[in-house]
Amino acid sequence: MTPERRVVDLLRELAPQVVGTLARRYGDWADAEDATQEALLAASTQWSDDGVPDHPKAWLTTVASRRLIDSVRSENARRHREATAAALEIDTAVSVDDDSLTLLYLCCHPALSQPSQLALTLRAVGGLTTAEIARAFLVPESTMAQRISRAKQQVRAASLRFELPSEAESGARLAVVLQVLYLIFNEGYTPGSRSVAQGADLTDEAIRITRMLRASLPADGEVAGLLALMLLTDARRPARELDDGMLVPLAEQDRSLWNQSFIAEGVRLLTSVLGAGRVGPYQLQAAIAALHDEAKSPDDTDWPQILALYTVLEHVAPGPVVTLNRAVAVAMVDGPLAGLALLGTIATEPGIASSHRFDAVRGHFLELAGERDAAIEAYGAAIRGPASSAEQRYLALKVARLGVVRCHPDE
Amino acid sequence: MKYMIAMFGSAEEMGNTQKPEWISEMIQFMIALDGRLRDSGEMVYNEGLADPSQAKVVRLQNGQPVATDGPYAEAKESVIGFWVVDVASEERAIELGGEIAVWSGAVELRPVPSGPPAEFL
Repeated sequence: MTPERRVVDLLRELAPQVVGTLARRYGDWADAEDATQEALLAASTQWSDDGVPDHPKAWLTTVASRRLIDSVRSENARRHREATAAALEIDTAVSVDDDSLTLLYLCCHPALSQPSQLALTLRAVGGLTTAEIARAFLVPESTMAQRISRAKQQVRAASLRFELPSEAESGARLAVVLQVLYLIFNEGYTPGSRSVAQGADLTDEAIRITRMLRASLPADGEVAGLLALMLLTDARRPARELDDGMLVPLAEQDRSLWNQSFIAEGVRLLTSVLGAGRVGPYQLQAAIAALHDEAKSPDDTDWPQILALYTVLEHVAPGPVVTLNRAVAVAMVDGPLAGLALLGTIATEPGIASSHRFDAVRGHFLELAGERDAAIEAYGAAIRGPASSAEQRYLALKVARLGVVRCHPDE
Repeated sequence: MKYMIAMFGSAEEMGNTQKPEWISEMIQFMIALDGRLRDSGEMVYNEGLADPSQAKVVRLQNGQPVATDGPYAEAKESVIGFWVVDVASEERAIELGGEIAVWSGAVELRPVPSGPPAEFL
């Protein structure tokens, strides 16, 4: 690991702790976060040049406190001295885990818009700089700076305080936190217009923050489930993209490239929580991912078990995407005609018929069933839906392959 | 100098008229081009767009915005993707446009002016 990388890792680890210390001491956590960001930027240049100080957290807390106090004009010199002196003491009253958790709940507060939740979480909890977040989301730095400043305005407008949610609220609030972390992960994992390698920053951060959350809430089955799901999914990243950037579908991946330590950790996590309480959607999705990861080859995949898990998932967390995935499992177990029959039962549901994935899956089943013309028509309908350009090109390739077969059956 | 390079067409038409090998090579070219432009620092922004049939035209009727479905132009004349590049010269922009035109027919190259000279402000 390079010295620069060590500094970055240390800063990201300390960031939420410093924000937490300042927020408890001075009250306004949005200001505390701004001041911490400035201290992180100062540290990243100074520590790389001069080495890491003996007490890095105290260093950051002192610098951030000074910035915070400088920014509050009404503060007088006396308070400045006291606060600086106080900042040098190491806080032991409140645990690091509690501060990180409080901060995570605040960044994912339902009063904030989703883009605000994602950006604030990465900055305040993840300790990423605005420039790093902008790069990860492929937007100009000025755009991300504006988005964060708007998020801060939402924080102030809603008068959000630096404290843990009440017990009555915490379940619903935790669900939002998990959703935000999974969105960050998926933003990195779903390539869109970035390469798989470019998305790695976001998936790594999502996993790191979820690990932090698990340290705070070790008994929660869904926190463990989400961490397991991320590890079991990210394990396949090394095999998802060829050197030239072409994406490789699951069935065609070189399974020897999969990250075995992530798979082992994910399976271990999942085993420790499955059956220990209410089974939630993240644990179920992780269990499905584990079945794919543990198959030696595509033919070795335990589709009946995957189908059973999707059936449970559909009860726990119903939705069109889950039903589509269940239809794929049905087709793998009982054949494409059974898959088509299931699709027929949901074709009229709102949100399904207009989805290009519905038509893409239908095309795939028709192709497997030997219905070439109908398959070409279904793939065409999928292209005309809201498909990304990568999906459009992939579907066009399928149409062209079927066209070759149709025009020249001997080829 | 910034330029927008706009590409036209529809993936469905491509699927119906091109060979699979051609489409595979096109996909590889597009991925490689984006990688090269990012590595050289010339890429400002790029996006691929949904199929032209997803387009809506918005007009004001009695002061209210009204959206009508359907493509604004023929599929082959519709923008399907674009790049904004920051390059050293117009020659470089034309060179890039030519590479893309191999796969998409004509592209439109449009300068993105960087503001009036100071003495006019």
